[in-house]
This record gives sequence, structure tokens and C-alpha cells, in this order.
Amino acid sequence: MSLNLSYQKVNKVFNENTKAAVHALKDVSFTVNPGELFCLLGPSGCGKTTLLRSTAGLESITSGEIMYGDTDITTIPPFRRNIGMVFQSFALYPHMNIFENVAYGLRVRKVPEAEVKKKVTEVMELVGLQEELKRNPSPMGLSGGQQQRVAIARALVYNPDILLLDEPLANLDAKLRRYMRGEIRRIQKQTNITTLFVTHDQEEAMAIGDRLAVLRLGVVEQIGTSDELYNHPQNAFVSNFIGKMNLFQGTIEKSADSARIKDLPITVSIDHSRNSSDGKPGSPVLIGARPEQMSVSPTKTDDSVPGKVGIIQHLGQFIRYEVNAAPEISERTLEIDMPHMVQGVKEGDTVFVSIKPGMGYFFPKENTSNE
Amino acid sequence: MSKKPRMKGKDITPFLVFFIPMLFLCIFLFWPLLNTFLRAFMKMGSKFSLDNLSLEGFKRIFTMPIYLSSLKNSFIVGISVTLLSLLIGVPMGYCVARVKIPGKKLILSLGILPVIMPSFIGAFSWIILLGRQGTLRIALNWLLGPLGIQIPTIYGLGGIIFCMTMTYYPFVFLLAEGAFSSANALLEDSAMLMGATRPHIMRTITLPLIIPSLGAAALLVFIRAIGNFGIPAILGGDTYVLPTLIYFRINGFWDLNGAASIAVVNVIITGTVLYLQKRLVAKRQYDVVSSARSEIKQHEGTGAKVFATIFCLVILITSLLPQITIIIMSFFTKWTGVFPEGFTFNNYIRIPKYSGHEIFNSMFLSLVATLLTAVLGSLMAYITERRKPKGAAVLDMAIMAPFILPGTVVAVALISAFHNNGIIALGGTYTIIIISYMIRRTPYVYRSVAASLTQLNPSLEEASTIAGAHWIYTFRRVSIPLILPGIISGSILTFSTLLQELSTTILLYGAKTRTVPIQIYSAVNEGALGEASALSVLLLVIVFIITYISNRSGKASLSSGLKMG
Repeated sequence: MSLNLSYQKVNKVFNENTKAAVHALKDVSFTVNPGELFCLLGPSGCGKTTLLRSTAGLESITSGEIMYGDTDITTIPPFRRNIGMVFQSFALYPHMNIFENVAYGLRVRKVPEAEVKKKVTEVMELVGLQEELKRNPSPMGLSGGQQQRVAIARALVYNPDILLLDEPLANLDAKLRRYMRGEIRRIQKQTNITTLFVTHDQEEAMAIGDRLAVLRLGVVEQIGTSDELYNHPQNAFVSNFIGKMNLFQGTIEKSADSARIKDLPITVSIDHSRNSSDGKPGSPVLIGARPEQMSVSPTKTDDSVPGKVGIIQHLGQFIRYEVNAAPEISERTLEIDMPHMVQGVKEGDTVFVSIKPGMGYFFPKENTSNE
Repeated sequence: MSKKPRMKGKDITPFLVFFIPMLFLCIFLFWPLLNTFLRAFMKMGSKFSLDNLSLEGFKRIFTMPIYLSSLKNSFIVGISVTLLSLLIGVPMGYCVARVKIPGKKLILSLGILPVIMPSFIGAFSWIILLGRQGTLRIALNWLLGPLGIQIPTIYGLGGIIFCMTMTYYPFVFLLAEGAFSSANALLEDSAMLMGATRPHIMRTITLPLIIPSLGAAALLVFIRAIGNFGIPAILGGDTYVLPTLIYFRINGFWDLNGAASIAVVNVIITGTVLYLQKRLVAKRQYDVVSSARSEIKQHEGTGAKVFATIFCLVILITSLLPQITIIIMSFFTKWTGVFPEGFTFNNYIRIPKYSGHEIFNSMFLSLVATLLTAVLGSLMAYITERRKPKGAAVLDMAIMAPFILPGTVVAVALISAFHNNGIIALGGTYTIIIISYMIRRTPYVYRSVAASLTQLNPSLEEASTIAGAHWIYTFRRVSIPLILPGIISGSILTFSTLLQELSTTILLYGAKTRTVPIQIYSAVNEGALGEASALSVLLLVIVFIITYISNRSGKASLSSGLKMG
């Protein structure tokens, strides 16, 4: 029976009391449900790996509590936590064959030989390596995907309470990565172990996770399902990390669901549920729109913003137009996906872009840089 | 944000393990060094007491002729040997790496031989060849006499420099060869495509990139040359250098305080050079490891090939002459003319009789010291690399200190602290020799193990911890097996160099603790060259076998061994 894993006001400061102090985790609080596959997602340096290593006990946290069920595991040394972990480098032992690699945690626990054999066989079947186990080679001779499976088997064999996966797919090639993430999800659901999965790849996180937490600079920005994060991002950072979001500077109008882009006589209206700003009339706001929520036109319309076309890329299902508007309107290059080529628009032309009626998001104004 | 003190669920074993090596270093390295340093300020012949402080010892160094000339000689020897080694080693390295000549592998493996042979054995071989009655000298004088050229004897400063250069140039040669052959060929190709000529590329690309390697090699040669005892002891006569002067002060006058003053000056010189080298080379450290290795262009012209072959052959044969000489000598009683006289197997047959005890001592001392060094060195490397407790930096520094301490200085320090005058009296015991060996050789194992630890991904050990293993279990089942090659190569290097150790032993041995190198040294002094040669050949064969086996099991061990000196 797996239990939930919860974090309460977890802080981690590296090099505490020195000039080089780094506040890697800031008041991190959330709960992972029993048996859930939970993804920690964020750019490098966001603290996701620190949080994972703190859960394992490889780093000790500065303050706060990490609970498994009702047990405070914060001060329990790592070798008594009963955790399984898969490392980015797999960390397989080159001096042991794959059986001994997988059996390692059982040997530590002084499990009788007959049971070791049974459990290793079971877990190797679970990860689909029963054939390899018969030859029992050194892990160094295996392919990347097989090494990955051995690493997972080794982490699962002693029925850990929690499974930690630290960028487990980063060392695999693109095709294998997509296949293995399906495998990891299958194995995780079959064993029903509460699992933390760290990645910087938003596509991977959205594909594999039951829920995701997006971290930035040690702070949890938003937690939710892939669908919630994509369709209802709470701020500009999350919106731009989970998929692409074009952002415009704007001001809230009289009603909370309409805003004016900069000083232009253009008003954008949105669905109420997409407003994450405070909504006070006159306050600054970021107006967001995903590439598919915008359109490009060679002719000026009432609600369009002028810009210059950079690169036009044909990406199969759609055509991506990169457009640069005035920097005071939008700091970064806009990406707009059109279902077909727009007649009369070439690279270097001046065009007019607009947000489709009712689409778009309002976010609190903030530094929009993506670290 | 609320903070509360955190109870760490750690046990104290790691700190105990940290404490024991620390204690060993404090008692047997720091205290003796401090003791020596203080003693350097005591009047000659006075007891070790803070009331007797004076600068007499140092004043003597800069006033008395014998001291002054030793200091001068040490500098001359150190600098000349370094320059000559560079002058010979760099071109030879280039020839082997960049000119298409036959037998490269053979040249490389023969090139190592002078280094693995004890230097004092080389010195007495040169006496057979170029001594007053030296065979080579007689032959050369007969050949060149009519031209008015007289070959000087090997004795004196010139001989010391010649002999040391022939012993130490392989350090430069091997490192230069490595640097020239592993330099990124793409960098040179790109320079050539941009229109640079070969000499221009050499000057602007190749040489600047290998300067760090050359700097390291030059430093190694300088420190070895200035700390070498055996060669000046055998060839010096009344020409002294600092290490032989230390020996002379202790053996001749039992003037520990005077010896300590010289030791301090000696350490200051090597320390300064090491510091300068670090400063200079650190600025020029480049990462020249290339992922896409392309073939290095080699000179193929006949002129270059002939010149390179002759150059390498001349140097190789000259540096290997001593080995050949002692092998021949070991089968004869006398060699004072052109040809050796009195063929005999007696030199070998009598070994058990006249040196049985010494062979046992050498084996026993080296083996025990190697085992203890292996444990100490591996533990320290593991602690400083992995557990990083406070004070690990001190440990790291302390462990490298013996690198700049010449063997005679270590001996002086140990005598100064433990020679029957302190709480721990160790004079003339096996223990003091074993301790001196441990102090001097721990860096070998330490470096070798630290190198394999840095290559070892920490997640291998973390994976074990997560799987539920206590750190001792992890150390035993994961760390040790994976760093075993490092431990073994460090230990082999330790063992094979300890078998030949002379400079420390010569000040520490007693009647019961004589070793083979001591026996060879006294046999040379007594003129029993046949016996000395037979014993040397025995030692050489043992060392050669050990080195050969370790080279076969791991190519990296030797080059890393060379670098650590």
C-alpha cells in the first residue's frame, strides 16, 4: 500500500552563512498522492534535482519537513528511507553482472538467496529483460534502453516506498526516449509506487505525469495536470514553459476580461476563466496568446498589431511565422502558426498580427524572460 | 522563513576514519617537520630546547665555504640537469611522435628503463665506464688522444650533471612524446589551412599547447635532481650538494641542528620552485582533448628520418650503457682495463651469504610499508574526495608535502623527532624506516586512488546508499572494487620504488635494518664492484618484472606514476 509524499515549507540553502549562499528551494509545499506519477519540471537551476536529492536524503534540507504518510523522513539517513532511485547516468555497477546489480538492494537487506532469485526474476520480467537475465552479462555490454531497464529493476526490486527518477531519459536517443517513457508509465502504474520524475523536457513531463509541478528559482510556480497547466497557466512563466506563449504589454480596461494592448486602440477580450491577473481596471497586464490562437494578415485590421516577418518555416501541419513587433509592445519574437501559407506575405514584409476573438490569456505583469 | 536546527542522523565512523590518518600525519609528518624547523635555529651541538635559539646554523650556510659551495652546487646541478633534460627530451619526444621512424614502441619502452633503475646504480656503472681506470674512458682517450682531446673522469660536478641527465631525461622525453602525439591534430590542420607553415605552427600552436606538460616534467626533474642523494654520494668525492652535506653533517659529526638548517634551506628551494611552476603553468592550462581524433601529420623526408633515428639511438644507447655495464660486471671480479677480468658466477652464488639478511630486510620493509601505505593512501583519498569533512584541504595539502621533501630531509625530520631523545624512541628500528617509507610514498597511492575516484561517478555510490547500504558497506562493495586498479597501480609503484630506496634509509638504518641498496652502496665504497653489480642486477630484475607486469595490466599506471614523481 503506498502512501502520500508531502513537502511542508521545505527550504534548502547551499553554502549557508557564506557569501556564496544559494537559496535553492524556497518554502516548497505540496503533496504527491499515493501511487501517483508526479513530474518536477523546470529549467536547469530551478531546484528540481535538489528537491529530488533531498527526498532521497542525499542532500539535507535547511528547514521544513518531508513526510511519507504520517512519518517525518527529513532526518532519516538515506540508507534507511527505503527509496528506489534511477539516476540520469543509470549508475550501474560495471564490476557486477546484471543479476548482481539488480540484487544489490536485496543483498544489503540480507534477503535469503532463494528469495533474491525469485524477486530478481520477477522484477526483470516486469521490465522486460527476462531473456537478458538468462545470459546475465555485464551491464556495460547492454544498449542504452536495456541499461535503463536494469536501473529501473534495481530500484524496484526491494519494494521501495517511493521511486525517484532523475532525468532518466536524458541519456537515450530521441526515438528510444519516447518509447521508454511509455514503458516507465506502464511499470509505474503496475507497481503503483508513489513516484517523482524529474525532467526539463516539458513534452516528456506532459506525456508521462499524472500531475506536474513547474519550478522556477526554487519556487513552485504551479501544480496541476498537463491539461490544466496548458490550458490554464497561472502566470506568464508557466505559460511559456509549457508550450509557447506570445506575450503583449497591456492595461486592463473597465471590465476585468478586456484589456488594451499598450497605447494602441486595440482591445482584447477573453473568456473569464483565462484571467490570472488581479483584474483591477487600469492595472498593467500581460496579454498572452498561443501560436495557434493568432493570425497573420498582409492588410491592416482594427485589432491588429504591425510587425516585420522574420523567418517563415514550413513545419508540415502548419506554417510558423516569426514576427517582430515593436519591443514596447512585445519584447520577444512572436510565433504564429497558420494552417496554410498566407498569400502575399514574404520574409521581411510588414504584416499585421491579431489575437483571434475570445482567445488569449491575461497574466500578472512580470519579468517575462525565460531564464 | 522559519529555521530550526536539524538533527543529523549521521554516525561518527567517518570522522573516526578521518581522525586516524590525521593523527598519523600529525605525529609522523607535522611534528617532525616542526621539530626540524625549530632545530634549524639551535646552536651546533646544543640540546633541543627553546633556550638555545640562534641563527648560527643558517649563518654557517652562507659563510662557511663547504656549505656555500654545496648550496651553489645544488643550484648548478638542479638547473643544468633540468635544462639538459629538456634539451634532450623535447627533441627526442618530437622525433618519436612526429617523424616516421621504425621501432617507436621499442624506443618508448627502452626509454623508461633509466627511470626504473636506481640512480646510484647508474652512478657506479659510470665509474666502471668513465672512472679513472674506466674502460670507455681508456678507449676514447686512445681514440681521441692523438687529436689532443682528453676525456675527463666521471667524478665531480660535471659527472654528477651528466649522470643525472641520463637518468632523468626520460621524464621529459615521455611526457613530451605523449603531448606531441596526443595534441589535437585538428588545431594544427586548421592553422595549416589558414596558411601557416610548419615551423610557424610549431611556434604558435604546438609548443604553447604542450608547455603545461613540459613545465610539469621540468619541475619533476628539478625536484628529483636537487633531492637526489645517490649520484652525488657516489660521484661527488669532496664535491658536496645539499643532500650529501646533510648526510655528512649527521654521519660525520652527528650535527642534527646543522643538518636541520640545511634541510630547511633545501625545502625552501624546492617549495619555491613548485610554487613558481604552479603560478606559471596554471595560467596556461588548456583542455586539448579532442573528440574527433585525426591522424597527426608525420615527417616522412629521408633526412628527417635519418637524423631522428640517429639522435634517438645515440641518446638511448648512452642512457642504457650503465645497465649493460653492470650486467657484464656482475659476471667478473675486476674491470679496470678495456676488458673485464676474472669471469665468475661467484658474485651471484655468494649473494645469500653476504646479503641474505639485507634481501629479507628490503622485502620485509617494502612489503609492510606498501601494505600500510595502500590502506592509508586509499582511505585519505576517499575521505578527501568523497566525504569532504572540514579540514580535508589540510589533509590534501599534507599528503602532497612529501612531494617537495627530499628523502634526506624526511630522514632528518624523523631522526630529529624520534631518535631516542623524545617520548617515542625509534632510532635504528624497522618501525622508523617503515614510517619514513609511508610518509614518502603515501602520495603515490593517494594520487592514483584520487584519480580513479574523480573518474568514478558519485551516483554509483549514491545508488548504493539509496538501496539501503551503510557507507561502510558501500565502500566495501562499490567503491573499493571500482578503485582497485588505482590502489594496485599506486601500490606497485610504491613497492618497486621502495625496494630501491637509498636517500632516506641511509640515514635511518641500523646494524639490523640494512637493506639491499645500503649493501650495494657500501660494496661500491669498498670497491667490491662485482658483488655490487650482482646485487644491482638482482634488484633490477625484480623491479623490471614488477613494472612489466603492472604495465601489461594497465597502461595508464605508468604515465600517472611518472607524473607523481
